[in-house]
Order: sequence, then structure tokens, then C-alpha cells
Amino acid sequence: MSAATTGAAPEVPSGSLLRKIVWHWRYDEKRELWIGWWTLVVFYNLYGLLFFVIARTQPPPKPSLTAPEIVQWFHDRHYGLLYGYAIVSIVGGATAIMNATLAYTMRRMSVSRAFAYSYLVIYALATLPGMLIMGVACTVGAMRPDRNPALMSWLYDFAFLSFEGTMGVFLIGSLVWMVAVLLDRNRVFPKWFGYLNLCNALTEVVVAPAWIFKRGVFAWDGGIAWWTNMAVFVTYTTVFLTLLRKMILREDFGTGPLPELQSDHPPEPGTREAA
Amino acid sequence: MRRADGELILLWTLPVVGLIWLSAFLLFPGFVHPMSPAMSAEEVAAFYRDPENLPRIRYSMIVFNWFAVGLIPMLALIVLQIRRMAHRTPIFSYAIMACAAGGPTIFLMANLFWLTAAFRPERDPQQTLMFNDLAWVTFSSQVGFLIAQSVILALAIYLDRQERPVFRPWVAHFNLLVAVVLIPAAFVGLALEGPIAWDGLLSFWVRNTAIGLWIVVMGVVLGQAITRQRANDEAMTT
Repeated sequence: MSAATTGAAPEVPSGSLLRKIVWHWRYDEKRELWIGWWTLVVFYNLYGLLFFVIARTQPPPKPSLTAPEIVQWFHDRHYGLLYGYAIVSIVGGATAIMNATLAYTMRRMSVSRAFAYSYLVIYALATLPGMLIMGVACTVGAMRPDRNPALMSWLYDFAFLSFEGTMGVFLIGSLVWMVAVLLDRNRVFPKWFGYLNLCNALTEVVVAPAWIFKRGVFAWDGGIAWWTNMAVFVTYTTVFLTLLRKMILREDFGTGPLPELQSDHPPEPGTREAA
Repeated sequence: MRRADGELILLWTLPVVGLIWLSAFLLFPGFVHPMSPAMSAEEVAAFYRDPENLPRIRYSMIVFNWFAVGLIPMLALIVLQIRRMAHRTPIFSYAIMACAAGGPTIFLMANLFWLTAAFRPERDPQQTLMFNDLAWVTFSSQVGFLIAQSVILALAIYLDRQERPVFRPWVAHFNLLVAVVLIPAAFVGLALEGPIAWDGLLSFWVRNTAIGLWIVVMGVVLGQAITRQRANDEAMTT
């Protein structure tokens, strides 16, 4: 990783979005970080669209459905599941660059690199049980509507339990990020964000009863195991996307504390070179 | 022993692993004439019960279980080359490391489903059918990490702005092309016959040829990059 020296870059062009993107691609020294940030933003929006609107597997259905009801459930969203999870399979790997970008925030902190590496490995693992297994199970369920209902019921459980019940990776991952934020002296993120990580970690604790209960607030579709968790997750994601954007604007590629942001706009290119 | 010598040893494991993969691929009776998803539960069960097929299914999948992760050293070498590129952050090398863990794990999951189906071929045909479906859908549709790997590598190469870039731009174009031809395989659930079905032209032949070609092409350009790096290192030390 050697720093590229670009010299004085021309002004950011006004006008079409495409020209702006071309400018950033050519001259913006923070393009790697922006690629990561935009991937995060686009992915989370697409994720919402795919899971809530196209596949309609969120909010989750009842764990207490009978086998014939489960067959009907697969039948009702046949194409949604097949197209939705096909797209999930295509874009699922984008999590690699997203997690790499989040791991970089820890690399920029004054903490050991072990934090960035742990986070990267934990979240690389998380994609499989946390998302892709559900896609495989739903695709297999939807592709043969005449399958034995008892096996459809198994696929349904496998899909939702793997998705809702994969806890440890997010639990430990959030705690790693929390400790890094709290130890950091480079002011990459505010300390309160460290504690928000703790909230996210706690949601993974309270979801554990979903492995046991088929009805009530602790079931996988319940008020605690799903609704509270989703509220915390959406808040957490929105907050870290906002904080990450600020962090990228403040980034000076140094090793010391990040400078404070003067305004909400990136510093003019060219003037940054002198700093 | 220089650092690059160890890297050359890792690189030369690649043709060996490639050969083992090819042998296991030819050994598995479900690949040479890929099994059709249109087969009934009874036909699938008969495929696993056939005394000609059963040992070949088990042995080929045991070999894949051993060597599914055999390509990870190659991906680690790619990570090292990305670190030599003119980037401002290690984001791309981190991202390839994340892909290196994901892709082989998916292949291993498919492998476990195949081996489980073959473990008790006398099982109810409906159950054998389900394990066979899980294996094929996991194997065929889960192209996400392979696509991400190629796209991230292409981005890393395009943004490697130095006088002598680590890889030439055509390597990036090639990676994008590979990413595109992997896309149709994600839709295997939609068709039991035709080009999209898991035994079809796009989902099986084009996809697997692209993966094979990627391994060969990346192996060669990686070898060139490491050799060049080695020559540079030697010139610097003498």
C-alpha cells in the first residue's frame, strides 16, 4: 500500500451525477472509502426491499404454522422467494467490502489491529448462517411446491431459525467494535457509539429463546425477539452509516487523532494537499 | 530462503489442487452428465442407490471435502499483491480476505449435503431428493462471493495508479466478465430444465468453465507478478 500522489486535482464539476462520479473515481483520494460507504447504503436499502417487499420473509411468519399452512406459505410467495433470493445470492458477496470498510474504521483507531482482523473474520463468517442459508432453504422449498409437507416444514424452520437464531457472530462482533471505540484515542467515533454497540449485542442475547418458544413475545416473530431487535438494528445501522460518513469526511490518512469536521462538506481538493 | 520462495511454493500447489479438483469432478457421476433437476424423487434415490454410482459419489465428495479449501493460499497470494497496489487503505485486501473465507465454506456446505444424501441411500426418496436439492442449489446458486471477489479485484486493479501496476488492466476486464457470466446461476431455483436449470448451459457449463478459466488465468498472472516482484527484490538486495 503505497500512497499515490495525484498532485493538484481539478475542481469538482457541477452538473450531471455521472461527471461527478467520474471526478471522484479519478481524483478523490477517499474513493476506496466512498466505494465502501455507498456499497453499505445501497446494500441495506436493497436488503430491506428484498426481504420485506420481494421475498416477503420479513416481518417473519409464525413459527406455529402447521405443515399444510407452511406448504401454502411457500406457494403464496413462490416467485418472490425464487427471484428475491436469487438477487440476494448475487449481491450477498458485497458484505465483504462492507465489512472491510467497517474493519478499516478500527484500523484507523489507536487500538491493536487485532480488533479490525477479528471483526473482519467474524462478519465474513456471519453472512452464511445469517443470510445465505435462509436463501438456500427458501429456494429449495419454493422450487418444488409438491414436496412432502413434513420436509417443507423442516426447510421453513431451517430458514427462519438460521436467520433469526444466528446470534454469536453479531454478539461478539458488536462487542469487538464496542471495545475498540471505547479504547480509541483517535476520536474515530464518539464514545456513546461504543455503548450503542452494547445495545445491538444485547438484542442477540434476548433472541435466544426463539430456539425454544413457538408462540409469544420470545418466538422468532415475537415482540422481543423480532420487533425490538429490528428497531435496535435499524437505529444502529442508521447511526453507524451517518458516523462512518463523517469519519470519511474527517479522514486525513494519518495515524493520530482524526481532525474535527469544519462543515458538512468535504474539504476542497487541492487545499488538502497542503495540510 | 527468501519470502518470495515460500510464495512460489504456495503458487505451485495451485496446479496440483487444480488437477485434484478436475479428477474429483470427473469421478462424481452427477457432474459429467450433470443430474437433471427434473428427475423424480425415485430417480434421484435410484441414482444414489446404484452400486456403480455410490462409491464414486462418496470418494469424489471426500476428495472435495479435503481440497475445497485448497484455493485459499492462492487467494492469500492475491491479497499480498493487492497490498502492493497504490491504494490509500487496505480495504480491498481486507475484502478479498473476507471472500476467501466465504466461497470455500459454501462449497463445503454443498459437499456435506451430497455426502449426507449418499450416507444412507436407503432413506425415503423424498428425503434423498431434498438433500440432493440442497446440495445442488447451494453449489449452483451461491455465486455471491465469487462475483464479489472478481468485482473487488477488478476495482483494486483499476485504482492501482502507478507507473508499473501490479496487474495489467485486461486482468480487471477479465474479472468483470467472469462476474457477469456467474450471474445466471443464481436463478437455478426458477427452472427445472433449460439453460438456467442447474444442469443447464448457463448455470452449469458456462459457470463452471468460467470458474476453471479464472483459476488458470489468475494463476498465470499471479505467477508473473510474484516472479517480477522476486526479481525486483533480488535487484534491490545486490
